[in-house]
Amino acid sequence: MSIKNMTEEKNWSGQKLVSTDYLLFEAPREKHFMTGSEVLKEAIKRCTVDASVSYPITPQSEAAHLIGELWAEGYVGLYFRGENEFGVMSEVQGCAMAGARTVTTTSGPGTLRAMENFPTWSGTRIPCQLVLMARGINSPLTIQPDNLEVSFLLETGCMIWYAENVQELFDMSIAAFTVAEKPDVHVPIITAVDGFFVSHTRESVMLPADDIALHPYDPYASPLPPIDSEMPPGRFLRDPFVMKSNYISYATHASWQWEVRSAVERSKPYARHYLQGLVHTTGDEDAEIVFVACGTATHQAKEAHRELAKLGIKSKVVKLRTIRPFPHQELLEATKNAKYIFVPEFNIVGWLDKEVTQSLYGKTEAKIVGRPRVAGGMSMPAEAILREVFENTNVKGA
Amino acid sequence: MAKDSIKIRMPALGGQGAVTAAHIAATAADTVGYFAVSNPFFGAEKRMAPSESYTRIGTVPIYDRGEVIYPDIVMIYHPQVITMGKSYTMPFYAGIKENGLVIINSDTDLLTEVDRNYLESINVKVLTRDFTKFAIDIAGTELATNMAMLGALFGALGTIDKPAIEEGIKDRFLKKYTASGGTATLDSVIEKKFKKKMDLIEKNLETASAAYDLTAAWAKEVDLAPILLPVSDVETA
Amino acid sequence: MSVDIYKINPEFRDIMPQEIIDLEDNATWAGESVEKRGINDLTDKKEILEEHSLCAGCPEAAALRYILAALPLPEETIIVNSTGCTSLMFPHIALHTVHSMFGNQNAVASGIKRTLDWRFPDKTKDVVVLAGDGATIDIGLDYTLQSFFRQEKITTICFDNEVYANTGGQESGSTPKGQVFKMAPKGKVFDKVPMWELAVTSGCQYSVKLTASAPKKVAKVLREAVLIARELGPTYIHLYTPCILEIGLAANEGLWEMKEQDKDRFADFKYVSPEAEAYLKECKKEGLL
Repeated sequence: MSIKNMTEEKNWSGQKLVSTDYLLFEAPREKHFMTGSEVLKEAIKRCTVDASVSYPITPQSEAAHLIGELWAEGYVGLYFRGENEFGVMSEVQGCAMAGARTVTTTSGPGTLRAMENFPTWSGTRIPCQLVLMARGINSPLTIQPDNLEVSFLLETGCMIWYAENVQELFDMSIAAFTVAEKPDVHVPIITAVDGFFVSHTRESVMLPADDIALHPYDPYASPLPPIDSEMPPGRFLRDPFVMKSNYISYATHASWQWEVRSAVERSKPYARHYLQGLVHTTGDEDAEIVFVACGTATHQAKEAHRELAKLGIKSKVVKLRTIRPFPHQELLEATKNAKYIFVPEFNIVGWLDKEVTQSLYGKTEAKIVGRPRVAGGMSMPAEAILREVFENTNVKGA
Repeated sequence: MAKDSIKIRMPALGGQGAVTAAHIAATAADTVGYFAVSNPFFGAEKRMAPSESYTRIGTVPIYDRGEVIYPDIVMIYHPQVITMGKSYTMPFYAGIKENGLVIINSDTDLLTEVDRNYLESINVKVLTRDFTKFAIDIAGTELATNMAMLGALFGALGTIDKPAIEEGIKDRFLKKYTASGGTATLDSVIEKKFKKKMDLIEKNLETASAAYDLTAAWAKEVDLAPILLPVSDVETA
Repeated sequence: MSVDIYKINPEFRDIMPQEIIDLEDNATWAGESVEKRGINDLTDKKEILEEHSLCAGCPEAAALRYILAALPLPEETIIVNSTGCTSLMFPHIALHTVHSMFGNQNAVASGIKRTLDWRFPDKTKDVVVLAGDGATIDIGLDYTLQSFFRQEKITTICFDNEVYANTGGQESGSTPKGQVFKMAPKGKVFDKVPMWELAVTSGCQYSVKLTASAPKKVAKVLREAVLIARELGPTYIHLYTPCILEIGLAANEGLWEMKEQDKDRFADFKYVSPEAEAYLKECKKEGLL
């Protein structure tokens, strides 16, 4: 396998190159039955990925193995196991800086071990993708689904999208490369799913054929020159200019942080197109009871919505698909008739509740209830959500 | 009254193949046109330690994820789940819904008076059979116990036929499949045992089929009410 | 690509300061034989490194010049560095350089090298890591050694000044036993970490310990290390560049200190794997050395 096998029409593994629009919206699809880990392999297979670095940690290990198989099968350019997550994310940074479309995966404690890398990623404007299969954080030791770690990532300057199920993981991880690589965006993207609930759950999913793939990444359409000695070196950022202590360097650092965050905001129009909206709503449009959630919590809220409907009670589920950038405008629009907003979450701190509350501050009359919150790997049966609804509203349950 | 979606909990011991069975059950249900989802318990399962898996089947889209807290059906793969409490939920039927079903793989009746009274009070039917012996008699190995349990489940449900089970089994053993280290090792043990893959599939099918007939007959005998709506009720988009 | 990327755009030439024009006109890398680059260029080639922001008389600055002058293929060389005194020099260099974080320099370099090999299968691209003893041996030991285990084709240079100098003079793993520094107010209690030996047992094809007292020797070692890394696997250079400030020497005493240590803690250590030995012979035949 060599990059030299690539032509205008085909990538190095012989897949026909197609547009993201074709791959996501137009190519005929067939039904398959698979887990989130397996579907990520299918997505990466169709993305003309140059590089991937892996490290074992439950629950993302299977997905990382499968990307390795793609390398063995000739779809991914280079792949190896790094020494630990801090090393892996640094290796990913090296790959992406040198001009590779790069993907990696991690979970829970691995995310935190690698933490210093994430703001460095965004600061260096690399468009790599981290597929985060969220898991709890120690101590005590846990490997269970719990997305507390996402709260640590919120201010890293990386984009964060949240997929609800196996199908969304497939579509999002393809769109993620495309949006992250837009020259006016060009920041890293974290595609999050709840570990196990998506990674290890087997369900039906519609996939396009695997003989088509995205066009390769063009590192020369980057706002910063790739580190490949093919371009004049970029002097201002990847060097520690701040080591020259003066007001210019302070101002540069400050404005660069603004620029990274502006770049994340500039992804919105692209994300609206490729994700078909930053939020998706289901249920009764004029409902007074609104569930705002992301990931698996949305699924659980949909079960609750269905149970409420059986009781003749209207409700609506607002699924946030991007967390960074945060869809303020869409959220406000989707909750304008709400009297009660529930934010069910799979973590103890209620980071999404904080985001929603802050976003709607002074703009809504609705009572915002940041519950139920389940953590440590517990399930969130619809019954738990219904109980919150009956306790916090004047609607009557059976 | 038959339901538009049911949840099945399968407490087992690591190595018995409950995760595989849940996977095949969901695949079979998906094959005939149901909405179906399967997942394992999210833990670091070890051989002979508690291991649990779940299948959800419905005529409506299934959103619910994770462990099944309120099951319609509980399938006990090993007596030790009950006798030694090798289970994530105690008692083993915790959370079971009215009009449900419990299938227990055991050569002796393991229910206490308290268990029996409670389950009767909510109209839950219990079937206890030695499905391990069943597997040894038909397939020649206790490793096919999960197939017997699978057949038993579908015999009791009556809405997913044998060809679908065959599809599920073939899908699992003929496709390249992602499995953890332990499962992959057991797969190769099973494969060596049967020499040829088709032989393996054949024996597994025979086991599942015989168990299917057994529970189908039992369901009639005890007048088990339909648990799951027929696939003809599936919502079409 | 070529050295053209380091040339001034002709459209801007008329507004460029003479200094910048000199950089190009007087550069060592264009055209003529690359093999002839070397220490002799130091006196009159501006692009090697005219200014630096280190302390006056700092041996690190001199050592970096020797290294830049000796790189066999500077226009295709990427230098990955780390936080510390060395990171102060890199904004002054016209090569592709990356400031990693602190300690992860060999991991970043691994990603870069592998990607360049993937993207440019027909080209030679050299990746050189240059970091201090804190970055290489303390906080980054895992990443340094793991890159050796993985046989990454990169050259790792440790500028060992035996102290955390940039943060104000704290003890490092490389500080000699007994030395009193900050964070070791009673003196360091364990021995200097023999990184050059760890490099050998961890799989380096080439590991050399020396001081920067003799420019030509540094240049020769650097050139050998880069050539071997290109073909065979990881190479390691452990170079003494004393912190004259922290050990209380004057600006003109660095060289004297290095010469002293040539006979002591930095007495010659050189390991060359049999494969590397054979390869160096070939290089000599081809005039690369």
